[in-house]
Amino acid sequence: MIAKSGKLARWFAGTAMAIALATTPVLADDTLDRGIGSEWSSLDPQINFDAAAGWILADAYEGLVTFDPDGKIIPGAAESWEVSADGKTYTFRLREGLKWSNGDPLVAQDYVNGVLRTLNPDTVSEKGYYFYSTIKVKGAEALANGETKDAAVLGVTAPDERTLVIEMDTPAPHVLDLVGAFQFAPLHSPSFEASGAGAFIDPAKVVSNGAYVIKEVVPQSHVLLERSPNYWDAANVKIPFVKYHVTEDVGTELKRYQAGEIDITYDIPLADMERLQAETPDEVRAFPSTYLIYYSFNLSHPDLQNADLRRALSLSLDRDVLETKIVKGGATPKLNYAGGFDPEYKGPDIAEASMTQAEREALARELYAKAGFGPDNPLKMSIATTVAEVNIRRAQGAALIWKKVLGAEIEVNSMERKAWLDLFYTDDWTIFADNLVGDFAGPETFLSYMRPSADAGYGWDKPEFEVAMDEAAQKPDKASRYVELAEAEKILLDDYIFAPISIEPYRHLVKPNVKGFGTSAAGYHNSQWMTLE
Amino acid sequence: MLRFIGKRLWHGGLTLAALVTLTFFVMRLAPGGPFSRNRKISPEVQANIEAAFHLDEPLWMQFGRFVWGVVRLDLGPSTRHRDYSVNDLIASGLPYSLTIGFWAIIIAAMVGVSLGLASALRRNSATDYLAGTVGVVGIAIPIFVIGPVLQAVFAVRLDWLPVGGANDGWRSLILPVIVLALPNIAYISRLTRTSTIETLRENYIRTARAKGIGWRRTLWRHTLTGALLPVIAYLGPATAAIITGSILIETIFAVPGIGRHFVDAALNRDYPLVMGITLLYGAILILFNIATDVVRATLDPRIRNER
Repeated sequence: MIAKSGKLARWFAGTAMAIALATTPVLADDTLDRGIGSEWSSLDPQINFDAAAGWILADAYEGLVTFDPDGKIIPGAAESWEVSADGKTYTFRLREGLKWSNGDPLVAQDYVNGVLRTLNPDTVSEKGYYFYSTIKVKGAEALANGETKDAAVLGVTAPDERTLVIEMDTPAPHVLDLVGAFQFAPLHSPSFEASGAGAFIDPAKVVSNGAYVIKEVVPQSHVLLERSPNYWDAANVKIPFVKYHVTEDVGTELKRYQAGEIDITYDIPLADMERLQAETPDEVRAFPSTYLIYYSFNLSHPDLQNADLRRALSLSLDRDVLETKIVKGGATPKLNYAGGFDPEYKGPDIAEASMTQAEREALARELYAKAGFGPDNPLKMSIATTVAEVNIRRAQGAALIWKKVLGAEIEVNSMERKAWLDLFYTDDWTIFADNLVGDFAGPETFLSYMRPSADAGYGWDKPEFEVAMDEAAQKPDKASRYVELAEAEKILLDDYIFAPISIEPYRHLVKPNVKGFGTSAAGYHNSQWMTLE
Repeated sequence: MLRFIGKRLWHGGLTLAALVTLTFFVMRLAPGGPFSRNRKISPEVQANIEAAFHLDEPLWMQFGRFVWGVVRLDLGPSTRHRDYSVNDLIASGLPYSLTIGFWAIIIAAMVGVSLGLASALRRNSATDYLAGTVGVVGIAIPIFVIGPVLQAVFAVRLDWLPVGGANDGWRSLILPVIVLALPNIAYISRLTRTSTIETLRENYIRTARAKGIGWRRTLWRHTLTGALLPVIAYLGPATAAIITGSILIETIFAVPGIGRHFVDAALNRDYPLVMGITLLYGAILILFNIATDVVRATLDPRIRNER
């Protein structure tokens, strides 16, 4: 017994030593330390669905295009591209002499293989919809559904080593938003065939084509990246090492930032937001994301079938007060649905926009009374939300405002995230604290989601909206497409099936010596643009 | 003694089987699944994903699959951490939880017993009051308060230690070990004090003293064996709880242990990971309980003779 426990103790001591020695000594000044919130769900570029893990992958892999610090599309592995007159075919020309991190030449077929693997049912990826829904690549849906295994049907082809062609069923000016590293990473087939999924997490086996290579992976702890000498633009990559830390607890992350362990945080605790903005305004970066907040109304509920009531609820919500005085998380209040992401999209003219809040509230009370509600017969409903602090604050604030303006008695029903997701499809809710994260910073990703045919579960049947969206989908250029999309959005907004609320911001703290961290709405912050001074 | 251990092991095995069976089925009652998302994906793709993780099979068949996996020591793939199997995640997280837990329980037992003894032997002295204060503070102030306070002082302000993570070798261990040990020091010292005072009043101690056995020898040979029985009874399950990783400690100090996986897995409906960790926790807890019983039985013949 004693001998055994002695052995055990030695083992523990050994483990402690191993932990102590396992840390690769890297000079602090050479390393950019970034928080990524909860642990990445996968480092497999064809599987990962997390935006934060997308940062690691965008450093390690490069798509046909890439995004500059402010989110603008710039050439990545492709140096140029051409669009056919009908807007359905994109032809990309790859840079000369591109290499994988192990020195192998990178060819156009590697990108085709990446798409094929994403769509292959055996990969069990949730990302295939980018290619058959967000953009409609020829043959993508048949491959994803397993109707065919024939790679030749796919509209992504490589006629030669430096040419890649994407052919689609309908024109899609947003295709360039979807050929970055997140959706369109290439696949190094030899290492995947040799090691399967290990080819993406084992530093000894990972072969990637981005500015950095994966050097060390410790689950629940960190991923360490090192500058890749074989990257085509390696001369302009300034920071030698990037370490992504799992920072699950936002309070701990803030302390690690203050202690200098982390240079860029994943988030800022809501409670500290105001104080930090006052004390260190230069370090607080809050800017709009593609995370849209809106409150959906259950259209199968008898009271909510009345559009006047839905409009009254939407009008009476003072979004400015809600976001700036109650939630205080830096969200951007909004009255429309798909606007505010791409500045080129002007959106429809809506009556609410030109009214003052007092006028909106007056109209709301009128409509509320018209719908048959009043002090003796108040509207009684509940808001279904997750337990995240920001969501609870917002729901409580909305309930308070509805109480004050209309006298409605709205409860907040908060629940765990998975229960909340499930509740939506049970139809057993009245007001749903909804959100949608756009695939890119443009209106179309949000509007197509609302198509009745997309079956998002709102029970909204509107053939006119489908027609308007179909018409927009035929326009090959952004300008004329946006005009059509605005018409479609008008149809959507006029039905008040939800109350748009705000755009959630990204909240980061960035050390003053870190330069080159921009304000990309899609959330792309490649380390290769940054410097440590 | 062997029969005693055998019987405890058999009972422990039954308890563990009941625990995992119950967990398996109760977990499925919770709404949502590992792949429920805001954004609906095409039904074919969804079906394909579910098939890949056998979620489309009837529940009893999935349970059979799980049991067969346990027999082969294969706990299956994680649905949340797609790059890893449950075995990988436990293998990577357990050493961190074990290391912190091991040092915390060693410190808690040594400091706690010493403090408790000191205050029992010098009742109402300054030592006693000091130990009493430590006890009250350690028990009353929760981990989620004391942890961030220590971080703010020793890591942010003084910059002696890292706030969190596991990137700084043994220095990363100090704060979590102290915070994990504190409430246990408090509890063990109170327990030791009370039971030592009680034991000192026992007749056999008076007899020993009357027979002329020296004070020191009475303390070490007679008082301590009796006084430490409740402490040992506490230490067994406490050790099991501590070394399997405290969820709060691991979250506050960003320790990459398995405690954090447990909550995260439950929230994400990562069924295989929840099952794997439940099985591990259950087994460790039961084993430590048995070990405690064995130690107590060695020290106290009354326990051994119980049926």
